[in-house]
Amino acid sequence: MQIIENSKVKEKLYIEKLENGLTIMIIPKKGIQKKYVIWGTNYGSNDSKFVVPGETQKTEVPKGVAHFLEHKMFEQESGVNSLDTLTALGVDANAYTTNDHTAYLFECTENFYPALDELMDYVQHPYFTDENVEKEKGIIGQEIMMYDDYPEWKVYLNALEAMYHEHPVKLDITGTIETISKIDKEILYKCYNTFYNPSNMAMVVCGDFEPEKLLQEIKNRLIDKKANGEIKRIYPEEPENIVKEKIEQKMDVSQPIFVIGIKDKLADTKERVKKHIAIEILLNMILGKSSKLYKELYDEGLLFATPSLDYEYARGYAHILITGQSPEPEKVYEKFKQTVSNMKIDSNEFNRIKKRIYGEYVKEYNDTADIARMFLADFFKEINSFEFLEEITVINEEYVEQVLKDVFNDKKMVISVIKKD
Amino acid sequence: MQYKEKEIKKGIKIHLIKTEKFKTNLIAVFLSLPITKENVTKNSLLSAVLRRGTQNMPTSMQISQELEEMYGASFDNGIDKTGDNHVLKFYLESINDKYLPQQGENMLKTSIEKLLEIVFNPLTENGKFKEEYVKQEKENIKRIIEGKPDNKARYAFDRCIEEMYKDQPYGLYKYGYIEDLEKIDAKTLYEHYEKIKSECKIDIFVSGSIDEETIKIVEENENIKNLQEREAQYIINKIEEKPEAQEKEVKEEMEVTQGKIVIGLDLHIENEEQRYDALLYNAILGGSANSKMFQEVREKASLAYTAGSSYVRYKNNIFVKCGIEIKNYEKAMKIIRKQLEDMKIGNFTAEDIENAKKGIISTIKSIDDEQDTEITYFFGQELSGNKVSIDEYIEKIQKVSKENIIKIANSITINTIYFLKNIETAKEEQ
Repeated sequence: MQIIENSKVKEKLYIEKLENGLTIMIIPKKGIQKKYVIWGTNYGSNDSKFVVPGETQKTEVPKGVAHFLEHKMFEQESGVNSLDTLTALGVDANAYTTNDHTAYLFECTENFYPALDELMDYVQHPYFTDENVEKEKGIIGQEIMMYDDYPEWKVYLNALEAMYHEHPVKLDITGTIETISKIDKEILYKCYNTFYNPSNMAMVVCGDFEPEKLLQEIKNRLIDKKANGEIKRIYPEEPENIVKEKIEQKMDVSQPIFVIGIKDKLADTKERVKKHIAIEILLNMILGKSSKLYKELYDEGLLFATPSLDYEYARGYAHILITGQSPEPEKVYEKFKQTVSNMKIDSNEFNRIKKRIYGEYVKEYNDTADIARMFLADFFKEINSFEFLEEITVINEEYVEQVLKDVFNDKKMVISVIKKD
Repeated sequence: MQYKEKEIKKGIKIHLIKTEKFKTNLIAVFLSLPITKENVTKNSLLSAVLRRGTQNMPTSMQISQELEEMYGASFDNGIDKTGDNHVLKFYLESINDKYLPQQGENMLKTSIEKLLEIVFNPLTENGKFKEEYVKQEKENIKRIIEGKPDNKARYAFDRCIEEMYKDQPYGLYKYGYIEDLEKIDAKTLYEHYEKIKSECKIDIFVSGSIDEETIKIVEENENIKNLQEREAQYIINKIEEKPEAQEKEVKEEMEVTQGKIVIGLDLHIENEEQRYDALLYNAILGGSANSKMFQEVREKASLAYTAGSSYVRYKNNIFVKCGIEIKNYEKAMKIIRKQLEDMKIGNFTAEDIENAKKGIISTIKSIDDEQDTEITYFFGQELSGNKVSIDEYIEKIQKVSKENIIKIANSITINTIYFLKNIETAKEEQ
């Protein structure tokens, strides 16, 4: 296995790409009881239009298939649900779907290998029937309704709606009651066979392991499957401009909640980490806990807590999101825009924020689950997570200044608000 | 991991957790006192005002800046209801010196000092808190109290507890009440602070790469020296006999798409050992994906996405929770009642018990893989006055038998069924 060592956090990554195309990453952690494994496919809710390798026609499936598949993978031909089997082993098993990947995981202290047997068995053996697909529609329907009552989720989706004309990132990961009603077992098998090929997948394990021995154990559990060719993913042409600047919805919230969004473009692979860090630094300088703007808004009663500051990106999209609660979101938005347009980078502040972010990156290496999830998510964005620790120490003011000019553009900003009637 | 505790003054304890597993050191200060209608709002406001500024760092901006200079040390605080105690919690997490880009700093010492400064040396003006801070934080707490219904699942849970513990300390809302908030000013709040500072139970935890020096850093800290000995006023979480309650049903209407059921169960147990039996009972009833609730309500009946239960050991209650389509209320209730009955007649297998034990033991074993979880574990024991090591804990779980669990099942009575539903549906029914 190839070994990549990071001197900052004093951790090692063992990485290998197998013949069938599957990438295995192992981060050993001596003395930790918890073992965490996550197996993901580079397939999320955004991937509903594609060309199956070997075919020429494009395939389009209803929204929500990736998430539906995630629910259905646990079902086994024997009638036993793998989630039950894993739980019975005393391990904590779960799965999730994002815009760009789907992952199956478990965390345990004992029974790692029996649980790995089960995980690798169920992910490699789908079993869909008309009946079990129908039944799942009831459960997912309840999940969709649960999210309907989350204003935090709605305000987020609305912000995406305001930014994107075409890109599927703006749609609900779960799909809607209407789109999931069209899902059947043939569709599920087709998507499974396309995206759950080892060449489109990666596995990350973190815990107290001998990497080479673990690698062998994983190989022993793989069924014989050849790497398939490239999956052509089709995304609609997304214009650079936004759809509309403001979007508002009425819901039962005690205080208005808001998301300020800034539409951006996905950076080239080699610049991705650097740009991400620059944006994190800028957001902290503008509206972080120690910023002048935050103090001002707090003193005026316009903010009560620091908004959360995020930068999200995957194939075909990138955007900044600032999420918070305020009696007058419009005022927060106006002051934010003003601050951005008058912004000068102060060296002291820049260095202080760099220190802070460095510390935050280091903290991410405390927990096996955080580490494994981070490496998987970054991998699908073509990033090695260690790069963040290296880039943060070398990033300079000039570059950050450039990003400020390029990305924090008035015309790319939107605000989504949810308030009471 | 090594755990050590020392009473540095009567009523003030330091707990040291020596571990090399983490990149960080975590320091926590807990102030515990009995929760009452009279003090709950003051405590909640106090917790908010204390993070605003200290004598040496008079603004929150300054606190934040100094923490950022310490490689993003993070301060956090909040309040919790732990049994009949109100606990003001303060945390500071900072990077272990080994992982700093430059050597030669003593981050642990600085972190301890900063945290103690925030808790015990707040900014004052003319013998009271700064007016402006109190005024702003009153607004803040008001907003939190008003925001209580925003999270529907949490709200339904809190409401069920309120109905179960009407006019009792545990029924109080941990952030307090708007009508009481209005009566508090900078002076009365400061008086309250001085009072609890001299009366409450104080626990200081330091977890991370520590040594003998660490106790000294705390003991010799000026803010600690200034604290007096005390007969700490707090409620030891003991098992109390519960009165037989008449089952009641509370329905509330709100703008929701999904209905939320929360059922509060009373456990009538007699001794400490039965708490382990109760943990097993809960795991089988609704504690995992293998549980009856998850299997019967979600998987078989396809009625819910969330379906489970949790055990509140301090009060010996189990709360059954699920989110359902509103029209399925009767159907869901019937299935849930059937599960409670099945537990009583022992309608669960040896395998169910084994699985539940494995799940619980796995959780316990990983307690020392997370610094804050470990602190919470030791603090819970501190409040119940009952020290059990992780190994003993596991042993006790192992020993629980089917008879023990059936006994718990038969001691259980339904106290309150709370249902949060949609407004339109209610109209249709009429």
